[in-house]
Amino acid sequence: MSCREKNRIRQAAGSALFLAGLILLLSFTSYLVLPKNNLEAFGMTDVTANGILGEPDDSIDVLVLGDSEAFCHISPMEMWQRQGFTSYVCGTSSQYLYWSDTFLRQAFQNQKPKVVILETNAIYRDLSRKDTLVNRLENWFPVFRYHNRWKSIRSGGFLSPVEYTWTDDYKGFAYNNTVDPAVSTDHMTPTEEAASIQPLNQWMVHSMARFCQENGAVFLLVSTPSTLNWNYAKHNGVQQLADTLGVSYIDMNLMTQEIPIDWSTDTRDKGDHLNYAGAVKVSSWLGQYLQEQYQLPDHRQDEAYARWNQALERYRNGVGASS
Amino acid sequence: MSISSYCSLAYLAVFLPAVILLYSLAPRKARPFALLFASYGFFWMVSGKLLAYLLVSTFSIHHAGIWLALTQKERDLLLEQAARGEKKEIRGHFQKKQRRIVLGMVCLHVGILAALKYASFLGGNLNTLLAALKIPFTLPIPSWAVPIGISFYTLQAVSYILDVYHEKFPADRNLGRLALYMAFFPQVMEGPICRYRDTASQLWEGAPIRFRNLAFGLQRILFGLMKKVVIADRLNAFIQSVFGDYASQDGGILALSVVLYTCQLYMEFSGTMDVVLGSGEIFGIALPENFRQPFFSRSISEFWQRWHITLGTWFKDYIFYPLSMSGPLKKLTARARKRLGNHFGPLLAGAAALFCVWVCNGLWHGAGWHYLFFGMYHFVLILAGNLTEPLARRVTGALHIHRERAPWKVFQILRTGLLVCVGELFFRAESLRDGLAMFRRMVTGFSLASIQNGAVYQLGMDKWDFLIVLAAVLVVLGHSMARERGAHPRQWIAGRCLPVRWAIYYGLILFLILFGAYGTGYVPVDPIYANF
Repeated sequence: MSCREKNRIRQAAGSALFLAGLILLLSFTSYLVLPKNNLEAFGMTDVTANGILGEPDDSIDVLVLGDSEAFCHISPMEMWQRQGFTSYVCGTSSQYLYWSDTFLRQAFQNQKPKVVILETNAIYRDLSRKDTLVNRLENWFPVFRYHNRWKSIRSGGFLSPVEYTWTDDYKGFAYNNTVDPAVSTDHMTPTEEAASIQPLNQWMVHSMARFCQENGAVFLLVSTPSTLNWNYAKHNGVQQLADTLGVSYIDMNLMTQEIPIDWSTDTRDKGDHLNYAGAVKVSSWLGQYLQEQYQLPDHRQDEAYARWNQALERYRNGVGASS
Repeated sequence: MSISSYCSLAYLAVFLPAVILLYSLAPRKARPFALLFASYGFFWMVSGKLLAYLLVSTFSIHHAGIWLALTQKERDLLLEQAARGEKKEIRGHFQKKQRRIVLGMVCLHVGILAALKYASFLGGNLNTLLAALKIPFTLPIPSWAVPIGISFYTLQAVSYILDVYHEKFPADRNLGRLALYMAFFPQVMEGPICRYRDTASQLWEGAPIRFRNLAFGLQRILFGLMKKVVIADRLNAFIQSVFGDYASQDGGILALSVVLYTCQLYMEFSGTMDVVLGSGEIFGIALPENFRQPFFSRSISEFWQRWHITLGTWFKDYIFYPLSMSGPLKKLTARARKRLGNHFGPLLAGAAALFCVWVCNGLWHGAGWHYLFFGMYHFVLILAGNLTEPLARRVTGALHIHRERAPWKVFQILRTGLLVCVGELFFRAESLRDGLAMFRRMVTGFSLASIQNGAVYQLGMDKWDFLIVLAAVLVVLGHSMARERGAHPRQWIAGRCLPVRWAIYYGLILFLILFGAYGTGYVPVDPIYANF
């Protein structure tokens, strides 16, 4: 071996070692700045959606992902009360699909949901490749997401063990009983047109569907009612995607008999989102459908799920007090 | 993936590594073409179809350069055969012909630049004038998209043509080499403004990427990122909030914001230059330095020899010297020398040339009266410095002040820094009126109350932000002091044992990741100089 070749090997080995050291260092610093609890005071972001981290292991039957359409329209507690299975909405405002993907993978670290629902509004939110890449990087090394926490961490906060203790009584649902009628309700005028879905978005949905399949969960696409966000062309676009992926697709905007949304009373912002009354209609039908279709267990009498009954009481009080 | 700046993830994590890979895989002869392909790709990603402007510029100077070369060749042939008496006439004839070509090229480039960048400023001012004169006519003001880096590559194109005209080097017949000189991706957006003689042959050489170049280039990029992401971007929230609502702030806050803006501008631009020069270094290309510790300058004149060096030298070589050496100014110097003496005499003609330089410098930075004021401010300071130099020497002599001793040097450095900061106030202000109002408020309403009562921490930066900025500035200051003393920190680091070397690299990387102003809560900051 010539001196030059030896030098090259040494340089390559040195570079590999340097990168390995860097990865270790990034992993270690990621642990240091990682929120040690899922409360805002500990630096956790999207606290309501991350309330799932405080749920006991393997206790969630249905996981719901999506943007405000998901957390305003689907109420897990309504389904618990009627059907007795557990669900959680990991929804955030204007959620991008890479963020849905992050919640999905994060949830499966401690949970084994049988059904995963993706609310389809997020599918039409254009993704930037840069943001998708950044999100991936942040998932690998959380130091990139939580780096600014050095300001708020006090001594001991760096090395204390991670222990998520908080969970949401509403299980990710955002209650709102405002009434602001929709102006127009003819958003589902039939058309042959199909709204195109960005390739990166298609790839993300495909990746989530594959992940669910590999983990033994059913992946379901659901469009909840919205006059401002949904139309027939989008329905066609998602239907095509669902057919390609071989997954079920439910468009509640077309189910006016089964889910009789009254757009003069069931929306809180002119048809953009449903209010509590609308969410009850959606959740009632969805709960029944999921139980019948996927034989989800009824845990209401199970001692291990006593906390859900306690949470239901608080939910009912909260909802009742505000209604 | 769109590229917004040299410090963006798209450039550093995707584009640059892809080009390095492409360049490494390409055979030596194809490497310059790989760079050219990458450079046009880069320009396309930033400016899209506006690439056409760069192509027009490149093709035109290539053609004009060859035309000049042919003219020069024809002239030389005729001169060889000509009798002594005819030579002057031949020279005159060909000089006129060459000047027409050069003038055409300069007009084309400056015309495009003026139309794209200054049409709205000139049109707006003309309309104001027409309205003031009560002339019922309004000029339509066109609004054109401006390609990225037009102010930079236009100066490169003009310098090439003028250098060929002055026969500093022969015209380049290789269109690819000239195109790469104009479009090389690390420098096309924010400079440095290169000279053909300095970079063209390096770019076309296709030298292999060496480990040392790669390591040194990456180190420089890392250091530049630290300046940009930790300091400049962190300061942004504070500066935006103060300059956006200066009327609500007291003079102390305004003074602090002016100092911090100067710091931001330096860290942003010099940090980006580190990324740019580091990128070039990876490919074995030494681009010219744009900064040389400017805040160690003892006068404004010296400051401009250390700040945006390539712009300063361009103005010196292509505006100041040609004007100073022009017939009318030479005559003026000769006359003034007789009347005003050897110091003040040449200053008069120099002042005229200097005035032109600073008008151009001000306007180069942007189409606005505050930019013009910025240029005039520095013109006045430099002229005043030259005029008062004999007096200053006499005064310091009489007071027994040693001009080369540390206290006087420190005084001069601080004085220069203060004057630079005031200039940057006008540079950053939204308009000349805002700049003047801020300056007035800073002087007449000066108070440290907001700093003492902690209100300063409510303007986008808390005390931790200030501490981090201070720590990072100290790191840069340490580096600058070492460079000022002639040391080479990167070579010093390279000479240390492996654990020390790696500890420094890891430390810098972690410092950047932990304390960088990016992600949630921060708005990405556009590169300041890319807009010029």
